[in-house]
Amino acid sequence: MKAAAVVVALCILGGAAWADDDTPELQRMRFVERGDALTVSTKISQLFDNPAYNALDSGFTSTVVIRVWVYPKDSTAPISFVLLRRQVVYNLWDETYELRFDEPSGRRDFKEKRKSEALRVLTSLDDLPIARLSVIPHEQIFLLAVQVELNPVSRETLAAVRRWLTQGQGGGLDRGGAFFGSFVSVFVNPKIPEADRVVRLRSQPFFRPTP
Amino acid sequence: MRRTALAVAIAGCVTVIAPARADDEPGTGPSAVEEPSSADEEPKGDREFGPLLVIERIDITGNTATLDEVIRRAVPIAPGDMLRASDKRLTEARFKVLALGYFRDVGLAMHKGSRRGHVIVEVHVVERGTVVLNRLWFGTNSLTPYWVGADVGERNLLGLGIGLGGGFIYAAHGDVDGSRAQWATELRLSDPSLLGSRFGANVAGTIVRGSEAYRIAGTDGTPALRELRAFPYRRFGVRANLTYDADALTRLSAGVRLEQISTELPVAPTLLLPDQRVTAIDLHLDPGTSYVITAGLSYDRDTRPDPILPHAGAHLAFAAELGSPLVGSDYQFATLFGRYEHYWPKYRGRHAIALKIAGGVVIGDAPRFDRIHLADVNRMLTPRAMGMVLSTAAPLALLQTRPDKPTYGDLGGAITVEYAMRLFRGKGENRVYGGDLFLGAGVWGLAENIDLRARDATTWSSLPIDVYIDAGIRFDTDVGIFEITLANGLGRLR
Repeated sequence: MKAAAVVVALCILGGAAWADDDTPELQRMRFVERGDALTVSTKISQLFDNPAYNALDSGFTSTVVIRVWVYPKDSTAPISFVLLRRQVVYNLWDETYELRFDEPSGRRDFKEKRKSEALRVLTSLDDLPIARLSVIPHEQIFLLAVQVELNPVSRETLAAVRRWLTQGQGGGLDRGGAFFGSFVSVFVNPKIPEADRVVRLRSQPFFRPTP
Repeated sequence: MRRTALAVAIAGCVTVIAPARADDEPGTGPSAVEEPSSADEEPKGDREFGPLLVIERIDITGNTATLDEVIRRAVPIAPGDMLRASDKRLTEARFKVLALGYFRDVGLAMHKGSRRGHVIVEVHVVERGTVVLNRLWFGTNSLTPYWVGADVGERNLLGLGIGLGGGFIYAAHGDVDGSRAQWATELRLSDPSLLGSRFGANVAGTIVRGSEAYRIAGTDGTPALRELRAFPYRRFGVRANLTYDADALTRLSAGVRLEQISTELPVAPTLLLPDQRVTAIDLHLDPGTSYVITAGLSYDRDTRPDPILPHAGAHLAFAAELGSPLVGSDYQFATLFGRYEHYWPKYRGRHAIALKIAGGVVIGDAPRFDRIHLADVNRMLTPRAMGMVLSTAAPLALLQTRPDKPTYGDLGGAITVEYAMRLFRGKGENRVYGGDLFLGAGVWGLAENIDLRARDATTWSSLPIDVYIDAGIRFDTDVGIFEITLANGLGRLR
């Protein structure tokens, strides 16, 4: 009976936590053909909350990693993938925001004087080429998925931070049993999120009409 | 750039031409897309970005219990360092301090220093309670009517970054001739980083007042209490280790163990076989007082990003221990244990397949307690607690192989394949980080040396192997890991 109560309690906790889970948010985006490429324009303003916005002038680097997939509506196999990395750091002495954008077209370094402008360029996709037109047949319906991470943490760092959990204080005489044990047993369990904030977006369906 | 006419339809058009189906709603689609391998290849940043800074001073704030020096040693920068603002050391500083495990949160700020280009880095910490409950023991069965115990620890003793821990377990005794109540206690002291270096040290002292049951009649299945006898013993041992962190994920250690075993063994223990023959049994202990003195080495590399609910990475560990009369041990033996786990993420990490291999070999005249116990390799049995055996339940005979599998062996191991499915992941706002449903099955085996030399039955019915299954739910919460599984339940009631 007690076990059943524990299961129910944990399921309630689990259900509550489910709300934290990642579900893409539908966002309208603008698609335009430019030359032989399809471009998208949209904003990711929801990435920065107040603390993240305030941290822009902390003197430490803020990093935004943007992943963009294009895939047919009736498939889960993407036909195109684009990866962007944007960094900003406040120069305490010059009082300017120094930005570095790494994009498929190359690297761009530039400066902004105002914090709000730095935020705007960090969170905007302006005519970003996302796929060659040759891979997008006419009349076929596609979707675009975007995942944006603020200050993502590398897997290696995550592993290193969490590793202390599994490093006990040395074993006593029961070494063999402990060695075979397959599950860690720890009761202080801080968890470092994989990024300060993650935003997942999905576009409205779109297609290229036959000319 | 030539701009063509807007040739791509936007939302409204599609809605008219092809009305949205249920699977158009957010929550499907992107999360199911197989991510191209290039997604893991982030553009390479470099250290040439941002202004050049000189660290003038590092201020530590917010700490009341932890010494400044303990935090300062964890920060990978020091006054006088010259680096770019995007330097990896600056971005990692927060995680290095968090990895100490003493803080609920760590914040970094940068202020202007006394000269242009000079900065003061402020590390602000929010301390957390560092008294932790490492383990709980409880359960009941016919051999041990009840057992209860706990292991607790303080991970930051007096703010020095030193860990102090200990445990106590009490086990009542059942109606087995010669048995008595058992208890064990342990005290541990550890410093994971001696003076901020890669070297660490730990020492543990353990006392066990035990009672070990052994079979005097029958061979198959779980023995009735009348088929058991018990002998008392006492163990007192100290184990000390020196550790070295080769890198963030790899640890080497070397250690020694000094142990005294005192026991009152029966004069000539025997086992009555089903055909009424009587055979002598070896309890693998010297009568009276004996000593175990060993030296050991171990290697551990863990690349799993999340060791609690792993869906990726691998864990490799080896441990070897050698005891010899040359250093005063009454037992000449060697043990070698190895363990490897590999996790293959599936469906963008939402599911995972794991292969887990663990095994060991005991060579020579090892004391009983250093041999591989049945419950070490079969998760469906009650595990030993601080070295004490709490159950004599036989493993479930699922394959109908050898019916009289040994309780202790010289060669043992298990191979498990596990499928884990992510139930949910959270940010901890509701004190729950995640939950997994898992199903595992494996083959385990345990043999004594003699089994490997001769057999008097068919190959199949001589094989000291069988299978086990386990299934259940794991929850990762900020107060610990909860596992509700089939094997866990059986291990507390059989």
